Amino acid sequence: MTAPAAPLPLADEIGAAAKPPRRSYLRKHPSVAIGGFLLLLMIFIAVFAPLLFTVDPTAIATSRRTRVPSELYWFGTDMLGRDIYSRVVYGARVSLIVGFSVAILSSVIGLAIGLFSGFVRWADGIVMRVIDGMMSIPPILLAIALMALTRGSVGNVILAITVAEIPRVARLVRSVVLSLREQPYVEAAISNGARVPRIIIKHILPNTIAPMTVQATYICASAMIIEAILSFIGAGVPPATPSWGNIMAEGRALWQVRPHIVFFPALFLSITVLAVNLLGDGLRDSLDPRLAKSI
Amino acid sequence: MDRRNFLKTAAGTGVLAATGGLAMPALSQGAAAKTLRFVPQANLANFDPIWGTQYVVRNAAALVWDTLYGIDSKFQPQRQMVEGEEVSADGLTWTFKLRSGLKFHDGTPVLAKDVVQSLKRWQARDPMGLMIKAIENDLSAVDDRSWTWKLKQPFPKMLLALAKNNAPCSFIMPERIAKTDPFTQITEYVGSGPMKFARNEWVPGAKAVFEKFADYVPRSEKADWLAGGKNILVDRVEWVIIPDAATAAAALQSGEVDWWETPLSDLVPVLKAHKDINVDIGDPLGNIGAFRMNHLHPPFNNLKVRQAVLTAMNQEDFMRSIVGDDDKLWKPLPGFFTPGTPLYTEAGGDMLKMKNVAAAKKLIAESGYNGEPVVCVVAQDMSATKSMGDVTAELLKSIGLKVDFVATDWGTVGARRAQKTPPGQGGWSMFHTWHAGADCINPSSYTAIRANGDKAWFGWPDVPAVEAEVTNWFNAKDQAEEKAAMDRLNKAAVENVVYAPTGFYLGYQAWRKNVTGVTSGPLPFFWNVAKG
Amino acid sequence: MLAFIVRRIITTIPVMAFVALFVFSLLYIAPGDPAAVIAGDQASPADVERIRQSLGLDRPYLVRFGEWFFRVLQGDLGTSIFTSLPVTQLIAQRIEPTLSLMVLTLILAVSIAVPLGVIAAWKAGTWVDRAVVGFAVFGFSVPVFVIGYLLAYVFALKLDWVPVQGYTPIAQGIWPWFKNLILPSITLGTVYIALIARITRATMLEVLQQDYVRTAQAKGVSNRDVLFLHSLKNAAVPVVTIIGIGVALLIGGAVVTESVFAIPGLGRLTLDAILRRDYPVIQGVVLIFSFVYVLVNLAVDLIYTLVDPRIRY
Repeated sequence: MTAPAAPLPLADEIGAAAKPPRRSYLRKHPSVAIGGFLLLLMIFIAVFAPLLFTVDPTAIATSRRTRVPSELYWFGTDMLGRDIYSRVVYGARVSLIVGFSVAILSSVIGLAIGLFSGFVRWADGIVMRVIDGMMSIPPILLAIALMALTRGSVGNVILAITVAEIPRVARLVRSVVLSLREQPYVEAAISNGARVPRIIIKHILPNTIAPMTVQATYICASAMIIEAILSFIGAGVPPATPSWGNIMAEGRALWQVRPHIVFFPALFLSITVLAVNLLGDGLRDSLDPRLAKSI
Repeated sequence: MDRRNFLKTAAGTGVLAATGGLAMPALSQGAAAKTLRFVPQANLANFDPIWGTQYVVRNAAALVWDTLYGIDSKFQPQRQMVEGEEVSADGLTWTFKLRSGLKFHDGTPVLAKDVVQSLKRWQARDPMGLMIKAIENDLSAVDDRSWTWKLKQPFPKMLLALAKNNAPCSFIMPERIAKTDPFTQITEYVGSGPMKFARNEWVPGAKAVFEKFADYVPRSEKADWLAGGKNILVDRVEWVIIPDAATAAAALQSGEVDWWETPLSDLVPVLKAHKDINVDIGDPLGNIGAFRMNHLHPPFNNLKVRQAVLTAMNQEDFMRSIVGDDDKLWKPLPGFFTPGTPLYTEAGGDMLKMKNVAAAKKLIAESGYNGEPVVCVVAQDMSATKSMGDVTAELLKSIGLKVDFVATDWGTVGARRAQKTPPGQGGWSMFHTWHAGADCINPSSYTAIRANGDKAWFGWPDVPAVEAEVTNWFNAKDQAEEKAAMDRLNKAAVENVVYAPTGFYLGYQAWRKNVTGVTSGPLPFFWNVAKG
Repeated sequence: MLAFIVRRIITTIPVMAFVALFVFSLLYIAPGDPAAVIAGDQASPADVERIRQSLGLDRPYLVRFGEWFFRVLQGDLGTSIFTSLPVTQLIAQRIEPTLSLMVLTLILAVSIAVPLGVIAAWKAGTWVDRAVVGFAVFGFSVPVFVIGYLLAYVFALKLDWVPVQGYTPIAQGIWPWFKNLILPSITLGTVYIALIARITRATMLEVLQQDYVRTAQAKGVSNRDVLFLHSLKNAAVPVVTIIGIGVALLIGGAVVTESVFAIPGLGRLTLDAILRRDYPVIQGVVLIFSFVYVLVNLAVDLIYTLVDPRIRY
């Protein structure tokens, strides 16, 4: 119904072009370097959480509630006396799992729908109306409704956000397919009787990977934010599970008196989302300069 | 393009603003001085106090509808709309007479037929009302101001039934409204209480407005809870719904609201430190935290498993998760009845007094528990249930029970707890809730303590010993008999774990210092509250 | 042109029909029970069942959907289960705050973001550019409620410049209205500012490389005129597109912003309704939101033809 959701353009496209080439990849794309480094750091934290001087992130001790950060409790404690440092470190797992799973799942499913819609012309109208319909429901509302339908679990959060993000990928893939179909070499292949799977593998997929990778990073970033918002309004992952959204949700009421409860998870969330966004921008510039300019 | 776009949307807003404006009459600056802004515990989502029994509806209804009797701070029923009553020597015939000069908000006088119809609607929904109905011969008006209630057997707690503040209260409505089916919502909110409901200003989820009713005739006695003279000293009371506790605290500090019914205890130190804010206990009867176990299905159909949970429980953990560090706000509760009330008892409550994980584990071993998951359904949108749920999960794990934690919202808990199917098939093993202390001072309105199996509250405990003592209490002739029945009841309820009380807790209320006359009570009383 | 508009409007009908069916079905299979919520904690299971019957919740799916759909076609969105008020009235009460919030956010975002993007493009490669790009990435990465609390703490509580919460109808004066809305608008607008600034900058950079712009520069047209007259006009298409897409973002953000600032808008109405299983309200609001989204995007398509003569339908 409108122009397809363009991947968000960013950063240094022209700045980089104006500089002399012949630099190493990472120097040429500093946002990939910075984003990648921060993301790796977060993955490291998530994977090695038990080794990073953490304690049981769900252990309740009401005798040490809402402590401010100290040598003993680096990030303080929350309303149930749980150690916020440990919760934040373990929380990296939830955010990353949600972000990556949603990005991968919605890419795969969106790719399938986009290809189907792009090739099976008679179905295109119906599929696109359904996709338009899905897109017209605000993702957060859709996710809240889906969460109300099921129950709070990491899997369901992933499912709810994925459903909301699929249309974006499907539209992107479909637009790539449609524009490629017009290309002489694809037309030639079709008229030569090449089979659809072959066309997809030879011509379509290679051209879809780049914009999809970029799109996937933005979806990953947006999924992490939506997870936080869902947990924040109480429709996210179960409360015992340490997630950044949960920690912030629990601390929100104490914002005035104990800002650290919200501050630390917010900081980690922001850094992670920032990293993913930077990575996406850099990848877009390097993978597909045309895309970077064409918006 | 920007300009076009802008003009278009701006024009659109103008039109909508104009229509929206009609629904929200402008307030002159003068009126603002006499408006009391109050942040209630919850949203007033519906306004039929018989049809919907949430506490917040009852609290608002107490402004708009008057009651025949009102309970005072000593839990004694006092005359309110009634001028006097007579009971025959055999206790079977009650005759009541209304005060003269009572008027509804639409200007019509309050008549006995209005009372009779209102009582009939109330009866259908209230536990005590149903008990009366079961022994009723006739309820009818005698003349404009009096009516009789003829019974088959005496009902000593009649006045308590008409005075109690437990929802549903017997609010008096005009006959035409009271004719509405008790299971269908009324659509007209006309009462004879001290304030009128400004229906056209009602924005459910955001605002409810009450205006002073000029023709209300307060009693001459001093006000005491729901008894005595309900003098309204402001022109308007505005209920402002603020869902976010941090925002509500900020609004009180900046003076945008005057009175906050349930401030979060962790924020109370900030409010106490503020020079313009008073803080005091809200409801002296407090709340009893609770989780209920499903007596129909494994593992909690096994008494030893239920006892193990109680044995391993530390009420302090639950209470601190709700009220925070303030020791004045909670008490351990080795029983089921409200501390500080005449019938309070700790008889037989040893199991709740100390935490003993080893003994609990032993009970689990004896019970033959073989790993059935405990489906623990916890509402995340209620701060008390959310906090308690986290503590319970840890408690269950500590004694080796397998926990299937279902985080959901109150709407879902409400539906799911009604399911009697096994936990794996849409049922449940455990859910959290709380009971207002005002409901737990005796068995009359205490649905949660009942243990009559299928007819009992969710969890369906079946403990004949408990039921026998409930009957004994109703038939008790004096306080000593009542007390004895309650002691035995408490003991049986603890031993059989009708449900698990997690402790007794109080909450604060906070108000600006220019507001005077705020009292502690089981609900917020707006009469005799003035704003300087 | 007219044919295009008609065609576009017709294509929205199946979209809306799908949304209606989807939302209705979703809620039908949802486990919550409004009757249980209404009856309250002390109600007996039998009472709950009676209420469920009186609300018609015990009837079959197709009957309920058919009835609802037929009434929606006549402009009747049904009656709220909880308040027993018409859904259209509930929405009408709430639409002014939400629309005000969104429009002010939009105005704010565009009037801040477009100049930012233009300046960044103009000064490409300098620290100004980096600061704008940095802000844009940052604005994207901070959750909306964190921004909200921060702003409320500083500007409402500490400095006491504006109210902490609430909403004043515009009928009571522009200034009180504005004072109530400014913080929520900035809160909600941050993501939007980031988004639009980014798009503007990127498009401007591209446009500035075009021959005609260079020609204009060579002919001595002032920098300001080049930027704002020649280039911005051509950058408008993607910016308008983003505004259209961002409406969904705004609606989602409004749910959170409205609950942080206690604004009685549609977002909170939706959230409350979902938590309480007030089916007719949820259905009505989602339908309205979808309709707004579809309309805005229709408008966006039309604006294309106005700002860019090359686009014809």
